[in-house]
Amino acid sequence: MSDDQSSTVGPVVIEADSIVKRFGGAVALDGVSVSVRAGEIYALVGENGAGKSTLMRILAGILAPTEGTVLVDGRPLEGGTRAALDAGIALVHQELSLVPEMTVAENIMLGAFPTRGGAISRKEMQRYAGAALEEIGVAIDLDEPVSRLSVSLRQFIEIARAVARKPRVLILDEPTATLTPAETDYLLEMLQRLARGGLAIVYISHRLPEIFAICERVTVLRDGRHIDTADIADTTPDVLVDKMVGRELKQDLGVVRESNPGDVVLSARGITAPKVRGIDLDVRAGEIVGLGGLVGAGRSELVRAMLGVDPRTGGDVTVVVDGQVRRVGSYTSAVRHGIAFVPEERRQDGLALSMSVSDNIALPNRRSISRAGVTSPARQQAFASTLADTVGLRPPNVKRDSGDYSGGNQQKVVIAKWLGLRPRVIVLDEPTRGVDVGAKAEIHRLVRELADEGTAVLVISSDLPELLDLSDVIHVVRDGQIAGTLARDEADERSVMSLAAGESMVTSS
Amino acid sequence: MSTPHGINFGEAPARTRVDQLRRTLGRRTEGRAVALLAVVLVVALVMEPLVFSAYPVTLSRVALVGLVALGLTVVILMGELDLSVASTVVLAGVMMAQTDNVALGVLLALGTGVAVGLVNAFFVVKVGINSFIATLGMLFVLKGLAIVISRSEPIPLENITFAIQFGLPIVGPLTPRIVIFVLAFVLLHLFLTRMRAGREFYAVGGNRQAARDAGIPVDRRLVTGFVMCSVIAAGAGAIDTLERTAADPTAGSTVLLSSFAAAIIGGVALTGGRGSILGTLIGAFSLGTLEVGLTLTGVQVDIQQIYIGGVLLLAVMTDPASLRAARSSLRTSLHGVRARSTDRGLT
Repeated sequence: MSDDQSSTVGPVVIEADSIVKRFGGAVALDGVSVSVRAGEIYALVGENGAGKSTLMRILAGILAPTEGTVLVDGRPLEGGTRAALDAGIALVHQELSLVPEMTVAENIMLGAFPTRGGAISRKEMQRYAGAALEEIGVAIDLDEPVSRLSVSLRQFIEIARAVARKPRVLILDEPTATLTPAETDYLLEMLQRLARGGLAIVYISHRLPEIFAICERVTVLRDGRHIDTADIADTTPDVLVDKMVGRELKQDLGVVRESNPGDVVLSARGITAPKVRGIDLDVRAGEIVGLGGLVGAGRSELVRAMLGVDPRTGGDVTVVVDGQVRRVGSYTSAVRHGIAFVPEERRQDGLALSMSVSDNIALPNRRSISRAGVTSPARQQAFASTLADTVGLRPPNVKRDSGDYSGGNQQKVVIAKWLGLRPRVIVLDEPTRGVDVGAKAEIHRLVRELADEGTAVLVISSDLPELLDLSDVIHVVRDGQIAGTLARDEADERSVMSLAAGESMVTSS
Repeated sequence: MSTPHGINFGEAPARTRVDQLRRTLGRRTEGRAVALLAVVLVVALVMEPLVFSAYPVTLSRVALVGLVALGLTVVILMGELDLSVASTVVLAGVMMAQTDNVALGVLLALGTGVAVGLVNAFFVVKVGINSFIATLGMLFVLKGLAIVISRSEPIPLENITFAIQFGLPIVGPLTPRIVIFVLAFVLLHLFLTRMRAGREFYAVGGNRQAARDAGIPVDRRLVTGFVMCSVIAAGAGAIDTLERTAADPTAGSTVLLSSFAAAIIGGVALTGGRGSILGTLIGAFSLGTLEVGLTLTGVQVDIQQIYIGGVLLLAVMTDPASLRAARSSLRTSLHGVRARSTDRGLT
């Protein structure tokens, strides 16, 4: 991207010195030290549960370390969030922390409303908020309530809020998880600009290409321990991944699956729904069909309308059950005909977080584990354990609450509960978003195995390497229509993106 | 507005006046309260114009329920509930009647309010009990206290002359109660829209984690809110006692539900973060006018409750969000029915 990164790295601004953090008996961080200099973008990587988020929250004063100290300009930081804010540490959360009913300006200035004589000065608020948006180069109506804005836009407002504080340290946790490639490029460029202005930036991401594009140094955490700190120039993505997972990761990318698709199992004709404008789609037995496209192109809406999760305004969906063609009218009938759906919002739609893994797995499988309507706890346990093993749940304790597991393991539970039904068709919407590298590889393995066993698979993914890697055929959706279809051998990042974005955008990137 | 670098998202800022107006209206939460008030007024005009000539009655009715509802709104905006308001009204009245000095009595009543608010906040903020449960407990405790202290007898005020004076209009139809009500409205409105702490109440209710992360002292705001609510309820209790010239430990049974109804009709969301004091004011006016209208047309009090319940449900159903949800769930189930009949046997 830019070539003048050498220039402005200054003195150390923030320093974590042998931080230990225990939650009850569990050790989340075990003697981790990092130091970040002004003008530097510093990457923090590791699998989910490695302790990145904990470290980040300690740096931002949200959590107090059990042992060790955080130093800002050599002075210890004590006194929680407020003190951290005052010391110029701003945090951009992974979970968006905006107040939906408040306006853009109010959200940017939240907690720091400018007042004059006790009353809020609207003019000042608009001015400061406007300046923050100007600084990150995003134009939005300041009086718009945040509830009416898109997710990506909210992410930028979150950053504007951090910038409005005139911070000296900016910490970002997975800021690009919800952004389109173009928005991501923009964000990365913006961060480099901010760093050149002397800001110290701590950047947490699963996406290694981003880290190699903008960061100067990287620290790898694993199981709460500091594994390595290196200059980006001296390392490679492969080395980092090895250090992150610590175990020999089966080479995931580049596995080409022998696919021999059978007959069409799932067939959709002329699907229309809000944001979906007439789409035909076929999925064959043993085939993995990928849906590519930008966030908001209508992919999720398409599959939700197809399966009857959300109402559709037109079109027909059929599924072949034992040689018979059945129509899918409602989600109930979809499930009855053996279609499994792993939704995008797993915490919200896919799992009952307060229930145990075993109970979650049992939900759609009542028939196979109960006799005359009565469920035996032992049988349920056994049933759930088998499936948990199949998907590689770690630790494989089905009595634990689903909410206690990491994102990747939660996703495995969602998949496990459907496997019990031996589905004919499985539809996965962003199956690995926010999932760590190890779990991601396992989910990929599962999807391939399912297809090998003859299941028809439909996958939505915004992660291009994943989409290219898994799919036998890719349909690219743009503006609620299929913009093009690519077979495995003609699909690459460029061809998918040019279809997804229309030509205009690709020329610039 | 153009940006030197980067991308433009979404629609451009509103340019014309009409645009601006439409957007502003789209953001308001008082819409259905206004609509409801209009309907009530029109119906009253046709059925029982007496409602308007008897406006002093209507006003004092509105002020009766409205004052408590105003305080309650503050707590609801923060995503909490206070079920103890009606008991606070009663207990404050009883406390006031403990002394024959009116000024001291009012102080005693308001002090009771402060204490109740602090206790509520203690349970919710420090102990971490859900506010529904904490204040439900307080509802019983305070009610019981009021009955014990008063030995379940109405306590007459010593200073009858002042109390009688207090019930009389000062200017035109404006009794002290109405003046206090209006004053409380104006102060709360300014507090919630203009003051930093007040605006932060919305953040506490809208996204508490975000509020904490932004450095807003959430706990302190919660304490302030609960105390404000209880003090206002206690003030209402003092006013009641003065107007009745006696503290009645068994009164106030409808206050709790009516004040909630006024806030909800006014567009204040029980989930917090959404609504306004203005909405509650309009809600209280709708309810008060409705009650007076029904009374004047000779509808019995018990039957009036059916109307009020109906209006409340109507108000909540016509919330844009609920309407959308209802429409889509209706469509889905219709679709489902249609589809189910053809689910099988297409071959």
